[in-house]
Amino acid sequence: MIINNLKNLGSKIDQTIFACLMVILVVGLVTLYSADHSQTNEFISQVANITLGLIGLFVMSNTKPKIIFTYTPFIFIAGLILLIWVKFFGLESNGAQRWIDIGILKFQPSELMKLAIPLTLAWFYQNNENNITVQSHVIASIILGIPFYLILTQPDLGTALMISFSAFAIIFSAGLARKFIISSSLLLLISSPFLWHSLEKYQQSRILNLLDPFQDALGAGYQTIQSLIALGSGGLIGKGWMNSTQTQLNFLPEATTDFIFAVYSEEFGFIGVLAILSVYIIFLLRLSFMTSRMQDTFSRLATLGLIVSIFSGVLVNLGMISGLLPIVGAPLPFFSYGGTSMVVSLVSIGIIMSLYSHKSLIAN
Amino acid sequence: MQKNQLRFVFTKRLGIIVGILLILLTIVILKFFFLQVIQHNYFQQKATNNSIKLIPIAPARGLILDRHNKILAENKLVYNLELDPTIKHDFEAIQKHLKSIAPIEDADVAQYRKITKENYYSSTVPIKSNLSQREVASFLARQYLMENITLVARLERFYPFNEYGSHVVGYINRINKEDIKELQRKKKFSLYKGTDHIGKTGVEQMFQDSIHGAPGFKKIEVDAKGRVIRTIEVQDPKHGDNLQLTIDIDLQKIAVEAFQGEKGALIAMDPNNGEILAYVSQPDFNPNLFVNGIDHKNWGRLNNDKSKPMLDRVIRGIYPPGSTLKPFIALAALENNLRKPPYTIFDPGYFTMPNGSKTFRDWKREGHGEVDLIKAIAVSCDTFFYGLGLELGIVKMNNTLRAFGFGEQTGVDMLNEKKGLLADEEWKKNNRGKRWFAGETVITAIGQGYTQVTPIQLAHATAKIAVANKYKTPHLRLNKSSPLQEYDVMSDMPRHDDLMQFIKKGMEDVTAPGGTAAFLANNHYKIAAKTGTAQVFGLKGGEYIEEDLPDHLKDHALLIAYAPANKPQLAIAIVVEHGGNGGSTAGPIAKKVFDYYLQKSQ
Repeated sequence: MIINNLKNLGSKIDQTIFACLMVILVVGLVTLYSADHSQTNEFISQVANITLGLIGLFVMSNTKPKIIFTYTPFIFIAGLILLIWVKFFGLESNGAQRWIDIGILKFQPSELMKLAIPLTLAWFYQNNENNITVQSHVIASIILGIPFYLILTQPDLGTALMISFSAFAIIFSAGLARKFIISSSLLLLISSPFLWHSLEKYQQSRILNLLDPFQDALGAGYQTIQSLIALGSGGLIGKGWMNSTQTQLNFLPEATTDFIFAVYSEEFGFIGVLAILSVYIIFLLRLSFMTSRMQDTFSRLATLGLIVSIFSGVLVNLGMISGLLPIVGAPLPFFSYGGTSMVVSLVSIGIIMSLYSHKSLIAN
Repeated sequence: MQKNQLRFVFTKRLGIIVGILLILLTIVILKFFFLQVIQHNYFQQKATNNSIKLIPIAPARGLILDRHNKILAENKLVYNLELDPTIKHDFEAIQKHLKSIAPIEDADVAQYRKITKENYYSSTVPIKSNLSQREVASFLARQYLMENITLVARLERFYPFNEYGSHVVGYINRINKEDIKELQRKKKFSLYKGTDHIGKTGVEQMFQDSIHGAPGFKKIEVDAKGRVIRTIEVQDPKHGDNLQLTIDIDLQKIAVEAFQGEKGALIAMDPNNGEILAYVSQPDFNPNLFVNGIDHKNWGRLNNDKSKPMLDRVIRGIYPPGSTLKPFIALAALENNLRKPPYTIFDPGYFTMPNGSKTFRDWKREGHGEVDLIKAIAVSCDTFFYGLGLELGIVKMNNTLRAFGFGEQTGVDMLNEKKGLLADEEWKKNNRGKRWFAGETVITAIGQGYTQVTPIQLAHATAKIAVANKYKTPHLRLNKSSPLQEYDVMSDMPRHDDLMQFIKKGMEDVTAPGGTAAFLANNHYKIAAKTGTAQVFGLKGGEYIEEDLPDHLKDHALLIAYAPANKPQLAIAIVVEHGGNGGSTAGPIAKKVFDYYLQKSQ
């Protein structure tokens, strides 16, 4: 009976997705082993993070979409409260307040928003699915706006951008008229100088640095340069596992978190990069296919939002370490060291599996 | 919008979004390809540069010794407190911090600022140099409080004889921007990695390359914080060669002290081999002041001093030779078959130009009576040379003077030696735009007029008289272990010994009774000499009464001499600026130098 139950438990798991995930997680752990020089032994705690995340994945994949749908507003409100909490009582590190310390573990509420925003917007459109008007899109924007502002002012530009990407994708797919897309793009363009001034000094210098990182090699350009050196010196086949000089000699900053893929690139070369990114692409295609098969607005929009949330994370991270984007602080999903990000990402996949495998839920 | 319509829009837009994500992923992959495959070599080099560092190891500077192995320049171990100039420092805090440990004066801070602004530094720069043992111990005990301040042991140049060797030994100072330019031009800058000092004057400058040596290096692997992971390779530096000079520092001291504060120059050399034994330029300075960058106060004092202590008068002092030129003019006469003894003239105390246009007075108003060439040198008879000069002409006089090295660098191993001047018609036309007058030929014969010489030229020419054909270039590097070919160049002056004998006799009679330096006569050895008094102040018809003139208008006193006359061992040239009469001021200095040198060697 127990075996039967376990079988049932596994039945909601999509095999392609799970296989892709396992490859990425294992490669991530192998790379972390090489990159980790800290006293705290991040490797062991990452194994714990993954275990916790996979349990979350299993649990969520077996949770009925109805329940997820019902609890969505609470997740959002809880996330907002945590964000406000972090604003006043959060732990500060590297000039940003992003953490909440609840005794045994530290927790990043902004990561939770990567999950909460897609679910909430999908929930909102589902509730108004017969009457989606311009007004709906405005309300959706407000739902995004509040957490966006709280995260941006932490400050955490990377996460703020990623949740807005996923929100825009949902609003866009929920049928935003073409003229609004064009006019809001124009609005963004016009307001960009003001947005520029609202950025922190260090954020501005990071963006400027993108144009010429070597100009300020020891200052703001340092991280980009060291990352580019790691990538470039890795070459086609890489220096081999544990042989990254950039990492072993500590030239590469944040080698276990934001820059872990630079370590991977240095040790396994372009061949390795191509291999793992192929897995990510299969992963994306499979998730897209699953989305297209979904029946209800909530499932479709939530899944799409989560996909964009995860893959904009992938793109921002890779763009950052390869010098295409400024250093904004974005972990590589399923790869970088970090508890909240890992658990939230895996739980998101669990939710997608649930929405996919249970198919017709809201119908009842 | 209706449900079905919504679904249709969604499917279309899902496609767009996934398409955009795929395109962006492709761009990222292309960027990785560009970095990892196309630009691989470039970044490979960057990665190596990141972690492999070459640390230069500076060579130890060679010692400078005198001919008897007395140390003229050495390296002393000193302990400095030093700061990293690439970091900004709060000097007030540092001063306060070190108050009870090793007090740092405002002048030290000013000096540090000056060095970091004007000079090159290969590593840290001293904020306080030459700590006492107590200060070192006290600092070490509290070092952990001041992590930006490092205690550095350095070999610092030290000149134990202070002022005595200042112009000949020279000094080193911190490398400045001009030095860097010069080193880069000579493509030698790479030899100065790790070195902060360079020879600026004297033999420290002249022999800089060999005294300095070449740096070694240590190839190390470092981490991002600059901590050494391992040493890959070490190559030891090639330390600088010691430099032994021909100088006898004891003789040099005797000579310096003999000047008794007068300004001027003295050169004493062995005429047989060209070795310079004493090289004096007065006033002088303490070279130790310069070693770590001279401070503002001392530099101002030395630079603004009207007596120019920094000027090396031996090679860069330009003087009219006065009567010391007469022996050489006499030889010019003999070589042109003029005035060969026992030919005499009668000196009434003046010389009148054949056309009666002008009369030139002898220094002795009543005249010297019957004078031959030997007596003319001995009593320094102007009248004899006036007529002679006119008859010889400027070209023939200059030809002989040139053969003795006047108007040219002697080739002594010092930099920036002056050439002096042998003026002639062409020179005057080019430089003064005026015609040459016969009267100028006349006064050139007694060493006035335009002719200008350096003390080293005088010594050089005197040595040539002393040893005639066996002469070698004057030099400062002792030719002991390895024969130095460059000094073996014989002068191209095959003089007839029989003619030279008359000149020598004349110079010997200078110290005989009746000669202009008769007081140099002594029982031990015979000195051959020639005195000279060079006019500084143009006397226009007025009388020259020495006591009435202010010091800076008084004549220069000159003396050239060699001894023993029959077997010359030492040739000297002395200039005492504004010393008045040549014999009376320069003579006693010469006597002390000869006495010391000749009696010591006997």
